[in-house]
Amino acid sequence: MSAVLKPKPKAIVCDGNEAAAWAVTLARVDMVAVYPITPQSSLVEYLAKFVADGKLNAEIVDVEGEHSVLSVLHGGVLAGARAYTGTCGPGLAFMFEPYLRTPGLRMPMVMSIVTRDTLTPQSVWGGHQDAMSVREVGWIQMYCETVQEVLDTTILAYKVAEHRDVMLPVNVCHDGNYLSYGAARVELPTQEEVDAFLPPPSTNWHAALDPSRPMAIDPLTGGAGGPGPSLFVRYRKGQCAGMQNALAVIEQAHEDWARIVGRRHAPLVESYRMDDAEVALVTLGSMTGAAKDAVDEARDRGQRVGLVKVKTYRPFPVQAVAKALSGVKAVGVVDRSVSFGWNCGPLYQDVIGALQFAAQRPAAMSFIGGLAGADITTDHFGRAIERVQALAKDGQVGETVWLNEKD
Amino acid sequence: MSAYNTIAFKPEHCDGCNACMTACATAKAGSADIINSRIQIVADGDSFELAMCRQCGDPKCVANCPAAALSKDDADGVIEWDGSKCVNCLLCTVGCAFGGIVYNAAAGHVVKCDSCGGDPACVKACERGALTYLTTANIYNEVGDLEDLFVPGLAGCQGCNTELIMRHTMRRIGPDTVLATPPGCIPGMGSVGYNGLTGTKVPVFHPLLTNTASMLTGVKRHYKRQGREVNAVALAGDGGASDVGFQSLSGAAERGEQILFICVDNEGYMNTGMQRSSCTPFGAWTSTTPVGERGAGKTQDAKNMPLLMMMHNCEYVATASTAFMEDLYDKLDKAIAASKRGFAYLHIYSPCTTGWRFPSQENIEVARKAVEANFVMLWEFNPRDGLKLTRDVDNALSIDEYLMALGKYRHLSGDQVAHIQATVEKNVGFIKGLAEGRHPAMAQAMSGRA
Repeated sequence: MSAVLKPKPKAIVCDGNEAAAWAVTLARVDMVAVYPITPQSSLVEYLAKFVADGKLNAEIVDVEGEHSVLSVLHGGVLAGARAYTGTCGPGLAFMFEPYLRTPGLRMPMVMSIVTRDTLTPQSVWGGHQDAMSVREVGWIQMYCETVQEVLDTTILAYKVAEHRDVMLPVNVCHDGNYLSYGAARVELPTQEEVDAFLPPPSTNWHAALDPSRPMAIDPLTGGAGGPGPSLFVRYRKGQCAGMQNALAVIEQAHEDWARIVGRRHAPLVESYRMDDAEVALVTLGSMTGAAKDAVDEARDRGQRVGLVKVKTYRPFPVQAVAKALSGVKAVGVVDRSVSFGWNCGPLYQDVIGALQFAAQRPAAMSFIGGLAGADITTDHFGRAIERVQALAKDGQVGETVWLNEKD
Repeated sequence: MSAYNTIAFKPEHCDGCNACMTACATAKAGSADIINSRIQIVADGDSFELAMCRQCGDPKCVANCPAAALSKDDADGVIEWDGSKCVNCLLCTVGCAFGGIVYNAAAGHVVKCDSCGGDPACVKACERGALTYLTTANIYNEVGDLEDLFVPGLAGCQGCNTELIMRHTMRRIGPDTVLATPPGCIPGMGSVGYNGLTGTKVPVFHPLLTNTASMLTGVKRHYKRQGREVNAVALAGDGGASDVGFQSLSGAAERGEQILFICVDNEGYMNTGMQRSSCTPFGAWTSTTPVGERGAGKTQDAKNMPLLMMMHNCEYVATASTAFMEDLYDKLDKAIAASKRGFAYLHIYSPCTTGWRFPSQENIEVARKAVEANFVMLWEFNPRDGLKLTRDVDNALSIDEYLMALGKYRHLSGDQVAHIQATVEKNVGFIKGLAEGRHPAMAQAMSGRA
């Protein structure tokens, strides 16, 4: 063993938007396209400033709207660039057309969704409705709990996106307001560490717009005759396979990150005080901090309560969720968005789907809170725990509980 | 009307050496005295002008001759002078606006160019390339020597000019190119391809209908960052350029992205089934502006896309027509050069045999009539020189002659024709005003310099 001590990491205090900009810088991104939108705006301001200050050596394209943000990056990636942007809410809605196309063209890029509730009612505050509205488009989605996790995950995301078994775009979701503006102590990895972790960009080996390798990108495919049907199925199945491959690649990337940088985050799901738990909460994103406090308080009272945080939401880690929750009597899933079709939260739908694969299937119910910037406090989580404990006793799955309804 | 071979003059290559005149005088009069030359190069300020017979299609000299001494040869297009019939009245010289037929004292009668039977002495004497003998074929052959970057057998409609535009423009632009062909006729012909087959030899892609200029921005910026010279070119229809794709086009033009954006204007969504676009002219039948008891075609005028692009102060903006290929090539060369400095926009009118309802063999003729009637004006713009007409039509064809050639206008009422006539006149006045600097505020805005 070497006796040389590792130097103390450089620590800064910053918010989630600045943390994302640092990650982009350390990941040596070639191209960023930007258009401002609350609560993402300071993120693109940091990027512009980092470029102006010479910290970030990237081509920055100030475009006239989010539709072009993603379209410019499509061109960049097809020419071989490592690309980044961030958006949310109405901006995400406006870029939906190229957004829809990104995974089908197997374009590895990273886009932060600084999550925001969607219109209407008019709202500029946090909530997961924007990211949830695009959950079935084929992007990988990872949700962050802390500012540090924003920084680390944004770098990690490139390793996942550009992995040859994956080749898909990644959304790193960090909660508007809570993480976008909440400042925290953050350890910056060194450039050497990130370079050791992240290989040089490899984004267009499979599909390129390059005169030295002429090819047609996205010709008409499908139809009822000739090679169309089977060719189309091959593309779709390949995309699904890439998505499933991502589960193992995400785990490996987190392992590599822990080995090189020395910081470990749960890659798919995190089990918190689940060892002998009878009931569990399931959470997503920054609400997890308050939820863990509520679990701790319940544990202090001698109650066997645990928590499962979902970090990787797409692809949904079905087996990991089923395993983590197998054995508890009841589960309460807390969403910051709604599924209009099912009158519950979308994460709840996923969890009850995954529980079909659990060895022992617990009862589960849906809680919705934190819409449009509302707080989900330890009191809210305390009440949710009580409700789930009642469910564990009587097995009666009640109506969806709206946590902020009487605030 | 047939096309004939002709002697062409490029003043920018002329230094006034007189070699052509000496050669002509020697060949035709046996003397080196340039007074006897039938080609005259005349100084015009810093430049030169050509005084010589143009072998006109509608020759005034022939019309003026009371003795039938002048006639146009249908075979080679040359206007021939017959000394046995000439009465030396000199009325022919009055008719000619080009100084192409003049009285020669030594000969004692009028003389004019006869193209030396297809091997003109003047052209052979010109070492600077100011004079060339253009054969009807070599206008195309010059481009034909360059590689056709599309495969044979693109599936365009019969008589489609867009295929001609695609092949000829890409030949000129060359293989170091990334080509965007947004949804429409151009990919519809198979340029991007279908189920694994492609029709293009350069990197080609389907952008979305909405984001052509933005995707090209990304491509171009990354190659620039890598220090690679790659042309970023769009061949887009008018719908994708002027309607749903206008935002990204405007954004890229405003940012001065180094892109060549070619809008192939067939005045509607022809590939999708001939629906109206904002480039569809007033009165036109389309499948979404049908003609019936209460409908009489489109009720609004077309959006003037090239003028809108000019107001973005692009590095180069021009209009072109397939009926005037040399003009088109000239503009294409300028646009390619401009796209290495900033945004270049070329708007090419491409009549649609299917959607405009006219016989497929008349496509070039329809395109020509559009220009001759001032329905389409040929001009170019750059921020330093402003707008310049490249084909100034003085005695315009009647608008009826253009409109009645097309099935899509066959229903027009007198009022509708009058509206179109008035719109054309207004447009001509406005564009000519720009060309003559009669709109100082506009000229200033255009230049982007306060």
